[in-house]
Amino acid sequence: MRFPWNRAEAEMEREIAHHLHHLTAEYKRQGYSDDEALLRAKREFGGREQVKEQCRDERRWAWLTGLHQDVIFGLRIMRKAPVVTLAAALSLALGIGANTAIVSLMDVVLWRDLPVASPKQLIFLKWQVPREIPREIIEGGAGSFGPEDGAENVGDFFSYYSFRALRQNVSNRAMLAAFTGFTNPVSISYAGRPTVAQERGVSGNFFSTLKVKPELGRFFSDADDTYDAPAALVVSHRFWLHALGADPAVIGRGIRINNRPYVITGVLQRDFYGLVPGDATEIYMPLHHTAFMLDAREGKRPLDNDRFWCVSILARLAPGVSAAQLRPALEAVFPTTWSRRPNHLSQAPRIRLDEGERGLGFLRREFRNPLLVLGGLVALLLAIACTNIANLLLARAAARQKEIAMRISLGCSRSRLIRQLLTESAILAALGGAASIAVAYVTANLLGRFLVGRERFPITVALDWHIVVTVGVTSALALLLFGLFPAWRGATLPTAASLKEGSGSIGTVAARKWSTGKALVLAQMAMSVVLVLAAVVFTRNLIGIESADPGFDRRHLILFNIRPGTSGYDTSRLEQFYFNLSQQLSVTPGITQVGLASMRPMNVGGWWEDVRLGQQDAIHGVSINGVSPGYLSLYVPRMVAGRNLSWADVTSDAKVAVISEDLARKLGGLTVLGHMLAFADGPPGRKPPEFEIVGIAPAIAATSMKERPFTVWLPLGKDANEVTVVLRTSERPQIALRAVEATMRRIDRNLPLVDVTTMEEQISKTLQRERMFASLCDSFGILALVLAVVGLYGVMAYNTSRRQREIGVRLAFGAMPKDVLLMVLREGLRLAILGLLIGTPLVWLGAKYVQKELFQMKPLEPASVLAALGILFAAALIAVAIPAIRASALRPMDALRQDEQR
Amino acid sequence: MPAKTDLLQGTLDLLILKVVAQGPLHGYGIAQKILLTSKEMLQVQQGSLYPALHRLQRKGLLKYEWKESGNGPMAKFYSLTAPGRKQLQEEMAQWQRYTGAIALVLDS
Repeated sequence: MRFPWNRAEAEMEREIAHHLHHLTAEYKRQGYSDDEALLRAKREFGGREQVKEQCRDERRWAWLTGLHQDVIFGLRIMRKAPVVTLAAALSLALGIGANTAIVSLMDVVLWRDLPVASPKQLIFLKWQVPREIPREIIEGGAGSFGPEDGAENVGDFFSYYSFRALRQNVSNRAMLAAFTGFTNPVSISYAGRPTVAQERGVSGNFFSTLKVKPELGRFFSDADDTYDAPAALVVSHRFWLHALGADPAVIGRGIRINNRPYVITGVLQRDFYGLVPGDATEIYMPLHHTAFMLDAREGKRPLDNDRFWCVSILARLAPGVSAAQLRPALEAVFPTTWSRRPNHLSQAPRIRLDEGERGLGFLRREFRNPLLVLGGLVALLLAIACTNIANLLLARAAARQKEIAMRISLGCSRSRLIRQLLTESAILAALGGAASIAVAYVTANLLGRFLVGRERFPITVALDWHIVVTVGVTSALALLLFGLFPAWRGATLPTAASLKEGSGSIGTVAARKWSTGKALVLAQMAMSVVLVLAAVVFTRNLIGIESADPGFDRRHLILFNIRPGTSGYDTSRLEQFYFNLSQQLSVTPGITQVGLASMRPMNVGGWWEDVRLGQQDAIHGVSINGVSPGYLSLYVPRMVAGRNLSWADVTSDAKVAVISEDLARKLGGLTVLGHMLAFADGPPGRKPPEFEIVGIAPAIAATSMKERPFTVWLPLGKDANEVTVVLRTSERPQIALRAVEATMRRIDRNLPLVDVTTMEEQISKTLQRERMFASLCDSFGILALVLAVVGLYGVMAYNTSRRQREIGVRLAFGAMPKDVLLMVLREGLRLAILGLLIGTPLVWLGAKYVQKELFQMKPLEPASVLAALGILFAAALIAVAIPAIRASALRPMDALRQDEQR
Repeated sequence: MPAKTDLLQGTLDLLILKVVAQGPLHGYGIAQKILLTSKEMLQVQQGSLYPALHRLQRKGLLKYEWKESGNGPMAKFYSLTAPGRKQLQEEMAQWQRYTGAIALVLDS
């Protein structure tokens, strides 16, 4: 290669040759023989290589030359030990990659602003009350309500009337837009194909308030805020891409939503993912045309009822206006929009303004702590990886003592030497860093998918180059820091002793009791305790939940949803349809029992109500499901008392209920049969419904494996739009499914089967988050374990190889191999146990935080701690045993002679 | 032969500039000239001569070209650049002031 420094090298060589030529000539003139003159000239000139090296240091390209040399040399050294290099680079890649992934995910979920213009101006309007929802002003509603930042309960839903009034009154300070805080699944029929999508209702000014631009077509305007406006809708970019075939001609086309005609007017810009990362919304439509508002059957339409609060409010502050300036006007108007005065003024809702720049806050609230915990774990993992690499470099520096001593005596300055060693760790960092980007990308997107638990709407994480660079630089700095110490140690070794080593006495390298390598291993062991324990705890948590008894046989069950109510069946035909469906499915081969339910079982959410017995004051939260007569028999063989529901109950819309055994016990035992069970609240403007308790069924896990709420089963509403069909099969569900699909096609080939799955899959879907945590922690734990074992093994193997002669002498003087074995084992295990002892208290601190903030998991069980320590100890034993056995198998003569053979 | 004296720290660069100012010279020639002009009092160590030459070259005070030397192989001849000439003036002035001051003290 032609580099400037190559020419300089050649010139320097010639220059020195020239000088020597003159000196030799001079000595010849003084009468020396040719040989003698040359010898004298060389002696006078002195260390030729040292002069050259000093000249190199003075040259302009010196640093570049040096770098080039360092890199070449570093690569050569690495090639010599490919396994070690690969292991180091890989552990670094995993360490850095995992960190980048978690930070990227944190950025998307916790920190990033909405992809709209001036997001800082956005605010979400909410209200808060000290305790319960004041029922006299809010008879019903839809949205989220619950405690936030500690004490107060926060609600995010308002009456449409309140929205109009608030919007009017602050129009000079802020623009207010309404949207439904929840999304609704709707049936879609477009170009002859039925699908299902998530819909969100918005006010006409929603998109202009957000300052989102259409990719195609146009958005809504205030003119859309009436029932009379034509039914229009805007689709997300993703939906346009996947369901509408990215066809630009869709604008103006018709589409049927829940069997009503709509016109597609716009497509959202690509980068607008919705109000929150992973927002499931695919279809936006004017509030007045949403299925939720139109399908309400009882009482007034929700938007017209000022006691039914169902819209959330987003505000964009006018430039120069602060949230604090907006608040007084809102507070003044808000109470005047209520239908009546609250009974207790102290219990009245008060306006609350939440910053909106990062979108809706539920993801942040839900995932802040899990992500912080994961972040802590991966940081620890990186620390362990760095410790390992430091140890590796240290051992390598020690193994290269002779080489280094040689270089120093050849004129290599110590600063140059340190640079060389640092270059080597930098190469390692670069290798690991490059690989880490791939690791980060894959991990982050896997996490994004798991985190929300919805396969179809993952949080997509495009790696932000800011983050990649930041994490990369931070890690590189960390690594350099870790590399600096071994480099400095390597460069300051006493030269003479190193060169002499191995040529003589036994005492020269008497291993110090606490070498740096040992200290690093100790730290590694201690940190590994945390990671291994995390793996054990989260895995046990998952296994505990999975293996709990749900109260029924979860095998051989199939579930799927159908939505005949939104696919062309009108209310009068539904009852007959459901009855036929049950009949036909029950005679399908392989099917033994058929049940229909209005709420999908084991789907975490559901229909929750507060109920009371008769006129009692005590209310109880229960999970409700409307079911067909066959449904309960799917799970339990017989009633505890009373009777099951019947088709007659469904047909006659009977006000009867079956309750779970645990609820019956809570209410007073079997004597509650025949009593009335009343909801605490009713639909808008009506008396709360009451049901006669006709049966008591064994308690089963109805909503998820993680909670056991009281359960109430009511007769299936005969006009239910959507039902979940649950089937018990006599053989493997996958086999029976064929026949089921054939039967369903025969009944109605245009009715799509939605979310077809087995009960076991359904259960495992609800445990995705637990599984993700368990599998992540398992991989972290295994990685930490491997790194710690490699570190420990490395140090012990190195120490025993240094002590070969001492061991040889011991053996020669009559020590038994067993003694040597025990000696090495003792030394290594002492190190391991000390590390474990240091690590265990750390765990207690971490666990305190995790169990309180995160999963309401059981306190750290001694069994988990013992298991983790046991695993680590076993691993340590293996790591130490190998060098110990090798040392004890030494033959004294070989050990003593070893140096002579070098 | 009188005892050879080690060079004072920092004076080597000045001596090299001065010697080279009188005409292009190669490394060996520079060492010889310093030795001869100083009446064999100042012996330049080769170990410091060449790094110094490279250093002055990097600072842009010296330039070089390869030329036939009188009797022997091609040699690297150093000569002063314009900044080198200026630097020489400054350093000489500074040296005069310095030795003058030392003399004043010693003579007092």
